[in-house]
Amino acid sequence: MGRILIVDDTLFMRTLLKNILFSGGHDIVGEAGDGDEAIAKYQELKPDLVTMDVVMPKVNGIEALKGIRAIDPNAKVVMCTAVGQEQMVKLAIKTGAKGYIVKPFQAPKVLEEIKNVLSS
Amino acid sequence: MALVPVKIEKDGKWLVGKIDLQQDSMNVVEPFKAAIPYKSVIDLEEKKNVLIVTVKGDPPVIYRIASVEKVLQAMKRFIAMSCSAYRLMAYFMSPAVRGGVMVTNATWEKGAIAVLKSTIWFVSQNKQVSVALKEVTSMEITKKEVQKNQVDVLKLDHMENTDVVTSYVLCPLSTLQILINFLKDATKDLEITGEELDPVAAQVGMLIYSGMDSHAIEKMLNIPYKNLDEIYEKLLKLGMAEVTQVRREVQLTPKGVRFITESVKPPTQ
Repeated sequence: MGRILIVDDTLFMRTLLKNILFSGGHDIVGEAGDGDEAIAKYQELKPDLVTMDVVMPKVNGIEALKGIRAIDPNAKVVMCTAVGQEQMVKLAIKTGAKGYIVKPFQAPKVLEEIKNVLSS
Repeated sequence: MALVPVKIEKDGKWLVGKIDLQQDSMNVVEPFKAAIPYKSVIDLEEKKNVLIVTVKGDPPVIYRIASVEKVLQAMKRFIAMSCSAYRLMAYFMSPAVRGGVMVTNATWEKGAIAVLKSTIWFVSQNKQVSVALKEVTSMEITKKEVQKNQVDVLKLDHMENTDVVTSYVLCPLSTLQILINFLKDATKDLEITGEELDPVAAQVGMLIYSGMDSHAIEKMLNIPYKNLDEIYEKLLKLGMAEVTQVRREVQLTPKGVRFITESVKPPTQ
């Protein structure tokens, strides 16, 4: 089980992810609503894993991923975005994302992906 | 070509038997005799480890066959490639996404798509995937990067048990258009027309999709159960949801209260 930071600009998606991850026994150590906040929270909380929305105001998920990887090259970040943004998948994986989930998602599959990334 | 062991249903009973798998037909040799030319098969469904083979006739004859995975694979391949169906050569990737998670080892399979009465089959030498038409949730032609080129593909979302799965089909655009038109027509009952969901109902839908139960939904959206029940009613009426279980809330009667009160009293000396 891991200490997880959830990054998404919508409260609804953060709450949904929080519920899913909590039901899987994970500890939600923090939440961030944009990329800047995500980088700051990562530095402060040193989570085991980050779920990162791609499309966000100000600093987007890809930029935040770069920022987090600059702090910790081994950071485990799972990107999270809507369907039809496949270009983002490639870019995120190139940038160092360890996993990818597509909205809408189903709880058991999300937990499986998080477990895989945490144990990688 | 090969005599394979099967279990076959007859008159509601499962019987142990044998089927002779040939290039153009399969013949039941035990416990009864029946020749099934693949060309006469008009529908092929798969439910867990059972193949449901419908052969043309008046009325059509239905065979339910169970066997080990290897035998079923061979049967599926033979039937899907030769049965009476709309068939096209194509590449397919299935599943590409499962429950919102990218399938990392998903690859393009070279094979055929066979569209039957109730099911679409993706068939290659090593893989046979069936998608029941009633399980198709959405479809669109979209672009996907294949070998550094953006190409047109058919994106098909469908249910597989309780998972929502995305599969892709790659073939010439004109063929994709024929395929999508057929699928749209075959699944028109699933289209939502007229009535739109309000934002809260849409959020409820999203939470159900993600696997949340009513208690979690109430807490997350901060809505009373009465309102949630009304939204459920709407989803049920639109055919967008089905009842899986009814949970009851109860309160204790005086008898129950008495029992609980007694049970927490320290034991008398």
